[in-house]
Amino acid sequence: MRVAFFVVLLAGAIFYSYVAYADLNFLTRTGRPGPGFFPRLIGTAAIIFTLWTLVEELRKAERERTDPRKWKDVVILMALACSYAVLLKLFGGFVATVIFLGATLMLLNRAQPIKNVLVATLVPSGVYLLFDRVLNANMPPALFELPI
Amino acid sequence: MELTKTLGRRMLGAACAAAIAAPLAVATPAIAQSYPSADETLDWTIAFGPGGGNDIMARSIIEILNKYDLYDGEISAENRAGGSGAVGWGYLYGQDGNAYGISTTSGSFVTTPLQADTPWQPESFTPVALLATDDLVLVVNGDSEIDTIDEFIANAKANPTNIGGTGSVNVDFIVPTLFAEKAGFEFDYVSFNSMSEQTTALLSNALDAMVGNPGEILGLIESGDLKPLVFSGQTTPAALEGVPTMGSIGFDIGVSMPRGLILAPNAPAEAQEWWINTMKEVVQTPEWGEYISSNTLTPTVLYGEDFRQFLVNTKNGFEVVLREVGAID
Amino acid sequence: MDIFADLMMGLSVAISPINILYLLIGAIVGMIVGVIPGFGPSAGLAILLPVTFGMDPIGAIMMLAAIYYGAMYGGTITSILLNTPGESATVASTFDGFPLAKNGRAGPALVMQAAASFVGGTVGVILITILAPLFSQVSRSFGPPEYFLLAVMGMLTLLVMIGSNWKLGVISALIGFALGTVGVDLETGQGRYTFGSAELIGGIYFIPIAIGLFGLGELFYAFYNGLHKTGTGGIVQYDNEERFWPTAQDWLSTRMTMVRGSVLGFVVGVIPGAGATIASLMAYSTERSLSKNSENFGKGEMAGLVAPETANNAASSGAMIPLLTLGIPGSASTAVLLAAFIMWGLRPGPLFMEQNPEFAWGLIASMYLGNMALLAISIFAIPLFVQIIKVPYRMLAPCIVVVCALGTFSVHASFVETYLMFAAGIVGFFMRLYGFSPAALVLALVLGPLAEEALRQTMTISRGSFSIFVERTPSLWIIGVTLTLIVLLPMLNRFGKPKVDQPAKADG
Repeated sequence: MRVAFFVVLLAGAIFYSYVAYADLNFLTRTGRPGPGFFPRLIGTAAIIFTLWTLVEELRKAERERTDPRKWKDVVILMALACSYAVLLKLFGGFVATVIFLGATLMLLNRAQPIKNVLVATLVPSGVYLLFDRVLNANMPPALFELPI
Repeated sequence: MELTKTLGRRMLGAACAAAIAAPLAVATPAIAQSYPSADETLDWTIAFGPGGGNDIMARSIIEILNKYDLYDGEISAENRAGGSGAVGWGYLYGQDGNAYGISTTSGSFVTTPLQADTPWQPESFTPVALLATDDLVLVVNGDSEIDTIDEFIANAKANPTNIGGTGSVNVDFIVPTLFAEKAGFEFDYVSFNSMSEQTTALLSNALDAMVGNPGEILGLIESGDLKPLVFSGQTTPAALEGVPTMGSIGFDIGVSMPRGLILAPNAPAEAQEWWINTMKEVVQTPEWGEYISSNTLTPTVLYGEDFRQFLVNTKNGFEVVLREVGAID
Repeated sequence: MDIFADLMMGLSVAISPINILYLLIGAIVGMIVGVIPGFGPSAGLAILLPVTFGMDPIGAIMMLAAIYYGAMYGGTITSILLNTPGESATVASTFDGFPLAKNGRAGPALVMQAAASFVGGTVGVILITILAPLFSQVSRSFGPPEYFLLAVMGMLTLLVMIGSNWKLGVISALIGFALGTVGVDLETGQGRYTFGSAELIGGIYFIPIAIGLFGLGELFYAFYNGLHKTGTGGIVQYDNEERFWPTAQDWLSTRMTMVRGSVLGFVVGVIPGAGATIASLMAYSTERSLSKNSENFGKGEMAGLVAPETANNAASSGAMIPLLTLGIPGSASTAVLLAAFIMWGLRPGPLFMEQNPEFAWGLIASMYLGNMALLAISIFAIPLFVQIIKVPYRMLAPCIVVVCALGTFSVHASFVETYLMFAAGIVGFFMRLYGFSPAALVLALVLGPLAEEALRQTMTISRGSFSIFVERTPSLWIIGVTLTLIVLLPMLNRFGKPKVDQPAKADG
């Protein structure tokens, strides 16, 4: 996992540098630092440092041993959070929040279904009242209105 | 083969257009009689957050419409901010043909499509009216030895000069660039993130001069900390009395930021006409005069197609200058 | 000029039942707005500005100012309890605030932050009252060369935050710098890493990254450690009655921190564009390098919470100086206040205080009252807020996700920023897990663009010559202070170290 994270970082650094070298000028026409000046420095340094740590990581004789059970809940929560992000775009702030809270609480807090339903409806209502009615702040608008 | 294909497509297109146009032709008289219908809520998009220039303008107009009972139905103003206006105007662009979608424009209306791949262009919308323009004043530090625009130009021809402004794909950059071209001097443009950073830079003598909206620096001009040299609009506002305009010294640049009103693309002609007539009343009210003077705008009024032409000219002018310096490709 | 008479006149304007009511409403609304992650003072002000359209200007400005510094008080509460900064200026408060709460000292941490905010805010207003003209000279002497040097000085604090594994710390900072280059290049107008998206024209905003890295990252990390199965998100349960008040030791050990934080915060706040975020980060790292317990920073050191808190409140007062004396807003929040001034037909500028003494001094006087009111409100509200951590974590965690997401969205109504927040949350989790430094990333994201823009502006102005940095007096001052800090601080630390190592170990 650790190695994978470094590889992802390295890929990001390479992509960042590629754009910096391909699209952005190092100097302006008058010979002063241009839009690509700092991106090229940052990108190059990032590649060097991630490569360095990656090599060190690979050389380590012993591999980290992770407990898959530790990962299970984090991955589930991350997946739920990501689907919440998608739901926000589709159904708007209120409905998405009800669905997300309902689903997540049902998974995490199976013992108290009634409490879960209450939280999943009261929290979004409270947030809606506070944001939309009291503060007149932006709530994510729905792409599709649900018939409720 | 290729030819017949295109031809076929064209004919199909024409047939479709006719099919769509037919029901529209029947529908329009109904709108003419009843626009604006009291049952329809006017959906007013403000493409920026609360408190900004665009927001204040939209809310000022709505206040006048309400006060003089110029609009029968309900008006719902929504701030749809994001992407330098791309979100809000994109929302209005999506309401093709709707008579009840409206929005106010500002500088980003011209510059955002030049910078990003927006599906819309300034001329895509149904123009109602240009109501005012944001113009700039060129100022130097109050301690400066330069007192007039002629001295400034003479000095800039002899010595390297820099001028500060806010942003780069922006009227702040275009105005001094065009002015310098006409007046025949060269300068280095220094772009800042905000008016406040550029003003302190000028006060600290790091800059030789800067351009800015007069409204934001009137206090400093009044106290003598900044010296106004020339104004980019057609007429000098009262607060800057005695300052020449670029036109009056023979270097008219013909560019300014449009503050106007637009409807969704292809809005019914009746709706456009109704709004043009209504705005003619709005600009006569004392409240509108107050808005213009407290925000130090230049009242420049153009209606309908003239406004569209103005937008096209402004956009083309910007594009030429920005392409020249390589800001856009 | 008789300052005292002016202030009394201001007080007489400010103290009317209706104005006090506006002040209290503003303070409470400000606190609520500050508590919601994402909503900073500037967002809160902008949203509530239309409400004041029809009000009397003095009452309205009192309410708006109260929202402004009320948000500064409220912003820390979630930093301490949930590791989620309410706004950018309270990121530094998470570094030691959250560990304090984890150690079972949530009550004392919240009381101390309210006290620190009060001290910072009040010292700030006192400095405005007596030294406004002097400090207005400071805010008008900053050009691009000085901003560049200031950013470099701020970057020294990166060294402090880089953490135990320096290579990972450097990578963290590089990620921050890289994110900072996204957006339309200020100088040339060329898009950098925007890929045609209109939402990225303005660059990557600091708030979604900070909320994601700290708030969501911490939450995922707590799940990784199975805290949702045990109860309370790693925060030790504590008894509200017994351990609510800070100990005498807390007060004594932080009294000089408050003084330093207030002065540093105020001075940084006076500089337009630098602001409360940089002030709080600088105060944190200064305090850490001065402290005899520097190894305890990040693990729940009271001084590490007090320093950024006094600094960000003092800075928010300091930002009033350029606004009142020059008509130049020093921060996003004061820019909204400036818009309000103009709307009421006032003309901010150097003559503003002379021409509108009632208004200006009424505002200043109301800031004294507001800070007192907020201290009282905070102390009363703390027991309520502390209830949050008594909610079982498995129920609280999904609600935190909701508040982070909706709070982020509300700032610019941007889905892109909301997605960025979620992405930053996942990255933040891995950064924590593998020993990176989210703090270094955030600091680099703030300082990187400032340094780059200022350097390139400077190079344009000086036509490529570096001598401009030694030709300007303010630049020389900053270079002097920076060198003093670099040379002097390690020496001071070396003197202090051997004596202190023993008790620190015994404590742990």
